[in-house]
Amino acid sequence: MVQFLIKRLIGLIFVVIGVTFITFIMGYFSPGNPIRVLLGEHFNPTLEAQLKHAYGLDLPWYQQYFNFLTHLVRFDFGLSFRYENRSVWDILKDGVPISAELASWALLLQIVVGVPLGILSALKANSWIDTLNMGVMLILYAVPVFILAVICQVLIIWLDKHIGLSWPVSQWGNPWQYSWDDLKYKIVPILLYAATGMAYFARLSRTTMLEVLRQDYVRTARAKGLAEKAVIYRHALRNALIPLVTIFGLSIGFLVTGAFFIEYIFSIPGIARITLDSINNLDYPVIQATTVLLAVSVVFGNLISDLLYTIVDPRIKAA
Amino acid sequence: MDTRDRDSELAQPGVMLPDTGMALPPRETVDPSRSMAEMMVAPIPAEGADQAAEKSPTPLQDSLRRLRRNARAMVCLGIIILFVMIAIVGPLIYQHVGGIYKSSLYGAQPPSVYHSFSNQELDRLDEGPSAQFWLGTDALGRDLLARLMQGMLISLTVALLVEVMDVVLGILVGVLAGFYGGWIDQLLARFTDLMFAFPGLLFVILLTGIFGAQADVILSGLPLIGPNGNARLLLVSLALALTVWPLMARYVRGQTLQLKEQQFIEAARTAGTSDVGIILRHIIPNLFSIVITASTLNIANTIIGEAGISLLGLGVQPPGSSIGLMISDAANLLDTHPWEALLPSIVLAIIVLSFSFLGDGLRDAFDPRTKD
Repeated sequence: MVQFLIKRLIGLIFVVIGVTFITFIMGYFSPGNPIRVLLGEHFNPTLEAQLKHAYGLDLPWYQQYFNFLTHLVRFDFGLSFRYENRSVWDILKDGVPISAELASWALLLQIVVGVPLGILSALKANSWIDTLNMGVMLILYAVPVFILAVICQVLIIWLDKHIGLSWPVSQWGNPWQYSWDDLKYKIVPILLYAATGMAYFARLSRTTMLEVLRQDYVRTARAKGLAEKAVIYRHALRNALIPLVTIFGLSIGFLVTGAFFIEYIFSIPGIARITLDSINNLDYPVIQATTVLLAVSVVFGNLISDLLYTIVDPRIKAA
Repeated sequence: MDTRDRDSELAQPGVMLPDTGMALPPRETVDPSRSMAEMMVAPIPAEGADQAAEKSPTPLQDSLRRLRRNARAMVCLGIIILFVMIAIVGPLIYQHVGGIYKSSLYGAQPPSVYHSFSNQELDRLDEGPSAQFWLGTDALGRDLLARLMQGMLISLTVALLVEVMDVVLGILVGVLAGFYGGWIDQLLARFTDLMFAFPGLLFVILLTGIFGAQADVILSGLPLIGPNGNARLLLVSLALALTVWPLMARYVRGQTLQLKEQQFIEAARTAGTSDVGIILRHIIPNLFSIVITASTLNIANTIIGEAGISLLGLGVQPPGSSIGLMISDAANLLDTHPWEALLPSIVLAIIVLSFSFLGDGLRDAFDPRTKD
């Protein structure tokens, strides 16, 4: 197991270096002259040279990359190109808790709702409950989240008009606070944000559960006269959950992609929204910082699922 | 359970060819009273021989027959063909429908102008469907049907471009990695890890976000692609292809590894066929089913990707049209004109679901074992 983990860690370091390098090199070759934009009408060559030096843009690329890495390690993302004397972290710091809040609730919902729905479907396989459940899950999984979001917004606004619901469809309440007013902002985006991953968990857990129910040890458990509940909860369920651990990393990936659409459509000021704004402002240091943050969170999601896998399934030691 | 029944069930592994998934003759034709040994050497019963004489269907014909019986997949295929026709032929017909319109702002206009996706009738904003504008107009007085058809064309074109790059790169690298192993295999594995760390659209957003404006300038001179704000689509397609091809290469690699061990490859080698010959004549044709299934399923993701990128304002630029751009154009009219957002959303959902279902159908048809 130790060997397996070391192998994974080496792979992980490679991936992190690759991600930071791609992000850096894109910023390096990015078109336009950010210093010129920053200076605007105060532009003059000496000032430009000074600022270039201050941002470290006059160094050769490998030195710039090295500085980029060493700063990253210290959680220092540098200065914004757009707002003079504002650090990147200063711009991001309000967005991080909001995005983290969204992601945590969505992840929780995906697992707590998705897995039981899948298991239920497997136990009632081929009944109308199964068909209905899987039909809904298929649509949630296949239809892109921004379509679901737009349809939900239209629905809420329509209800608002006709019943006077006074339900907001944009902005975010106070982060990590749950008064009724805050909840009104948060419920719909969180549900939508969780939808894709939830459907994925449900479909996968149905498949794995069906697979396990066909195994010999389940037949043996039934044959020796064990109560159906014991067969399902003690023998089948535990084994069905093992493969689900491996997609934990994948579901973080869904969340990162989904964040861009959910935060854009609901005007939630999280880090994905900040990234999009920075793209419009050509504020590369902010874009680089968020890309690295998001990609590294996916990498760590994968690492966590590997770790969980070794814990849940002892057979991995042999591999 | 009857003992005779049980016997025949136990005997079943004997009549199954391992790893082909094809049970030879149906169980009823095997007389359970015969001994195992007898059965092993017994010739295939007459029923199978009859079929062979009638010219048995090739595996491909077999799969296509299974696909044709899958009602859901066939309906989806029909929808896709319909949408492709609408996207390609639709605008050509629509631009000849209707007479001269006396625009109060621009004077007399033929249908080829007011039924184009970029013409703005500024005194006819946010209209409902009418005889002149079949699906109504948007907030800038542009014909929604014309914009929708252009958007569908954009979605399908991007999907085609991405799939071509995906299939070419995926087969090339996947076959080489699977056939030769070694450093190219290692490189593929590392690169796949790297691209998987960039979740879904993040890489595409990064690439188009940073280089989009530059692509607009450089590529807008190209004929066909350049005008109408489509220049960035090349960049979007490239970025999407870069994120998806490692997965295709992985599938191809896996299949190649399996094929490499098969006897017909060994036979070809014994007959003196070169590596290139084996790859071209024996491996690549056998990748057909996996490649077609994976790319159909992938088209759904690609279309979502393009629409998403355009929705975020990083893809097609106005006055061009894309389904994603239409949704974002209508985003602040949800309270007064929800139709303008719902129309492209529903069309996109139908396209995406059709490709997903067709992909599922293809998978079941080519590999019936995956069905639960």
